Amino acid sequence: MMTEQGRVLSLLLSGHFICEVSDEDAWRFLKDRDNQVALEPHLSILNRVLSTSAEGEVFFAGYMTVTDGERKVLAQQFQETASHLVPLVEWLLLVQQASESDRPVTMGSAIRLNELQGVIEDTPAYREQLEKISRFRLFGSTSVNLDGQLKQVFKRLVDIGYLIKPNPEKQIYLATGKVEHLYETIRFIDETESLSLAAQAEASISQGSLI
Amino acid sequence: MSQPLIQAGTKLLNALSRHSDLIMQAYINGVVDEKEYSKKVLDQLVQLGVLWRPDPQSRLRLKNAVRTLLEGSLQDERSRNIDANIGASIASLKTLAEHYKEALHYQRYAESQAHMSDLTEHVYQLTESLGNSVRLLFGRINNEFGYVSSVEAKIRENELAQEQVSELLNQLEFFRFDELSEVAGSNRELRHLLVVSLQQSFAKAIQELSIVQAKLLDLLGRFREFQGRTRLLKGYLLHVEQQPDFVPSNYTSMTKVPALFNQAQPCIGNAHADLNRIEHEEILQDIVNSLTDIHSRTPQTEKTKAATEISVDEQSSVDLTKDPIRQAVEAYFCEVIDHGQPLSALDYFERESLDFDPEVWIYQIIGDYQALDDNDKQYFAIDTNGQPHPVFNGNFLINDLTLGLR
Repeated sequence: MMTEQGRVLSLLLSGHFICEVSDEDAWRFLKDRDNQVALEPHLSILNRVLSTSAEGEVFFAGYMTVTDGERKVLAQQFQETASHLVPLVEWLLLVQQASESDRPVTMGSAIRLNELQGVIEDTPAYREQLEKISRFRLFGSTSVNLDGQLKQVFKRLVDIGYLIKPNPEKQIYLATGKVEHLYETIRFIDETESLSLAAQAEASISQGSLI
Repeated sequence: MSQPLIQAGTKLLNALSRHSDLIMQAYINGVVDEKEYSKKVLDQLVQLGVLWRPDPQSRLRLKNAVRTLLEGSLQDERSRNIDANIGASIASLKTLAEHYKEALHYQRYAESQAHMSDLTEHVYQLTESLGNSVRLLFGRINNEFGYVSSVEAKIRENELAQEQVSELLNQLEFFRFDELSEVAGSNRELRHLLVVSLQQSFAKAIQELSIVQAKLLDLLGRFREFQGRTRLLKGYLLHVEQQPDFVPSNYTSMTKVPALFNQAQPCIGNAHADLNRIEHEEILQDIVNSLTDIHSRTPQTEKTKAATEISVDEQSSVDLTKDPIRQAVEAYFCEVIDHGQPLSALDYFERESLDFDPEVWIYQIIGDYQALDDNDKQYFAIDTNGQPHPVFNGNFLINDLTLGLR
């Protein structure tokens, strides 16, 4: 029998992101300051430290000290993250536009695959967008029909932890805290490279209305 | 228009026409004389929203909507048209109260009664319209401005609602209870209407409006965040489109890696089965059993049975070569037999200059002697040379052995 502490520790050490959606028990456990203190020594033995993202709503394990070996791992990881950004952003926008409420996908958003599929099927622009998204290396779909493309994209997203499927029999997906982490990443890039992305978007919207 | 709605509307209008005398009486008198009509009819009208009871003690009155409808259609001279302007309606309340007091003073009771019913109507209308506007705002918040789809439109709707709330709050400032209580004076009925009943609805409205305001701000914050996120995503795509070679610089090469990009690799693997743990024996056995169930080979064994060939080759012989030390011990035994003289083990050891450890040598001789069967053992005599241990009693240290024939 493993204690809750052991379970949470092994989740962290297996590289999982823990949020309210993906594992509520573990998330509650980590929300307690005392439990965090109790986990610290275990993590520090392995040169790891408890990190948080999205204003403390998402937990994951980071390195305590970064030397050459760790730097190499992180650099590789970063390359991967950077190459995933465009496909993920395109996907987020597609889901947002295709959903009736025009709400961005955030932690806990429910995506009903059947409804989404219906809307995308009826809208040629969305169909093209999905086709483009599914061809990215991240999703790697070779399917020619929409159904296969959509399923492959969602399967990959579950694999890499952006979505979970609470009920295996229902085609309803929930967005996890990793989505929030993605927003944070883009926000960080925006600030560090001073891209002023929001202003760019606004400018393009006002220009679009002129044309 | 949906069918149920049409049906409900028809039902309401039918009820209005069926009970038109009741409604007109209520319109003229302000209240319904409940003794004249059956309870069932009254209940039905209450349910349809034609009549209502402002508080449990008061009598049934016409709903404002029905009254407005009648007022509008009849072009009634004594128009009770009260706009949402609370300041104005309070002023008219004060005026009516003065009329009432004057009529009482000159003991014109019938006239005072008419003024009183007018006043009552105004007060209840005011409270009703207050309650209605708050309910309207709540309704809009509860479905999060669901009647418009885009987030931008929701933000605009939210701003409009906020303006309405502040307008309403400004209007509510016109309530000056010290003035109202002065107007009411010592008259019990006036006090009840102007102070107690108005104050109650005023407090309730203020409280609800503050909740509405907080909720609106909360919603606006959320909408703004949605908007921010959408812009961030769209902006990123635009940026990548305009500069296709854009790659964010490698933040992991900074001296201090940002926590956002510092994710440790997974470092935990599966444990393995430990066959030496007795307490796991049963579990492991179960696992193994279930494995053979899956890879069942029973049909195959029958096949192979027929095909097995019995090999008739010569069995390979097993070569049992003895240890060098055992060979040396055997040679030592033979030496004793050949010469028939007792021979010290260490003397032989030195003479043959064997390269074993002397202690191992002596142990091996004792061992081999003990290993002889009883018949053979009879021929040899073994004698140990040594002395008792100087400290520990009963221990005997053996330095050498002498083997001889019996």
